[in-house]
Amino acid sequence: MASTSIAVPQAPSLRPATALLRLIPGVLLLGAIGYLGKFIEQSINTYAKAHHLTIPNIEYVLWAILIGLVVSNTIGVPRVFQPGVATYEFWLKAGIVFLGVRFILGDVLKLGGLSLGLVGIELTIAILVMTLLGRVFKLSPKLTSLLAVGSSICGVSAIIATQGAIEADDEDASLAIAAILALGGLSLVVFPLIGHWLHLSDRAYGLWAGLAVDNTAEATAAGALYSDAAAKIAVLAKTTRNALIGFVVLAYAIYWASKGQASEIKNKAGFLWKKFPKFVLGFLLLSLLATFHTFEKGQITTIANLSRWAFLLTFAGVGLRTNIRELGKQGWRPFVVGAVGEVAIAAVTLVVVATADRFI
Amino acid sequence: MAQEQVEKKRFKLSLDSWAVWLALSLALLVRLGVVAKIPW
Repeated sequence: MASTSIAVPQAPSLRPATALLRLIPGVLLLGAIGYLGKFIEQSINTYAKAHHLTIPNIEYVLWAILIGLVVSNTIGVPRVFQPGVATYEFWLKAGIVFLGVRFILGDVLKLGGLSLGLVGIELTIAILVMTLLGRVFKLSPKLTSLLAVGSSICGVSAIIATQGAIEADDEDASLAIAAILALGGLSLVVFPLIGHWLHLSDRAYGLWAGLAVDNTAEATAAGALYSDAAAKIAVLAKTTRNALIGFVVLAYAIYWASKGQASEIKNKAGFLWKKFPKFVLGFLLLSLLATFHTFEKGQITTIANLSRWAFLLTFAGVGLRTNIRELGKQGWRPFVVGAVGEVAIAAVTLVVVATADRFI
Repeated sequence: MAQEQVEKKRFKLSLDSWAVWLALSLALLVRLGVVAKIPW
């Protein structure tokens, strides 16, 4: 369950140096919680090894999220930490760019091509299901559009981009964001359990998490909770989804403009470029450089480790920004629509991914 | 309240390109040997 109750620095009113200084306590908190999670994982493994015990490995990812959740929902995140904690998405994007070094461009094209085909199917299903459910539950049409975009493409970023383009209310955007984040939180628990239960391969699970979990941070975490290899695939599949954000937002903008309820977009190419997530380009650039052996083996390891450290900060932030109490303050219908839609999308994508994994 | 939340999200998303530059700059520093081995 989640809300977006964490404050971020109000940049325009602060000098850059002051704004940066305000980030330090929160970033240190992210690092401390993430590192504590890593320490707990290592300590348990060391203890189990020393005492010849067989204990299932609980990844640092889960510990970091759990500690963050406990802090957020008990003592809360003190104001002094909030600006820095809000940078977790910044670290996520940096981590994804670093991760590019672990992919050879051929793999990106092969897996990305497969992901693209699956994303097309997922996108169609998600938009159809959400639109239908929105009508059944009598949600406002623009809130339905926001939920459809949030569940089909990339969660919060897509909702924010679409809200501006279709001129939806802030209230609708806030509801859609809360619903998508709450369901993303649940997916962290449900996805790994189903994946293990069905004995999915790393590739199948990674593709499934990348396709069906909406927010990039949660998709990355859901992948990492399964295995390192699954996390890699989940990030690639999710990045492929993210890359399509501009097209879907543009389609919705054109639809609402045709109804006279949003401004017409004249420069469509410019619009697509503006909405395109630039971290995808950074990811591809590092993958390209790795393909042409620009980095030595040790350097690739170092950059891959930078990616892990960046994700460690992200996972701590996922827990810290999740506030269960805030959920009660939102209306229930968007959550029901989101939950029913997400279950349907997850089930269909699971079948598609399992089939693709068997035959490709 | 809703507007405030959306504004916060919008501001955070505007930091995305900075994340790309930070990551690419660090990768360059690793390539040049300025940043040595980073363990996990």
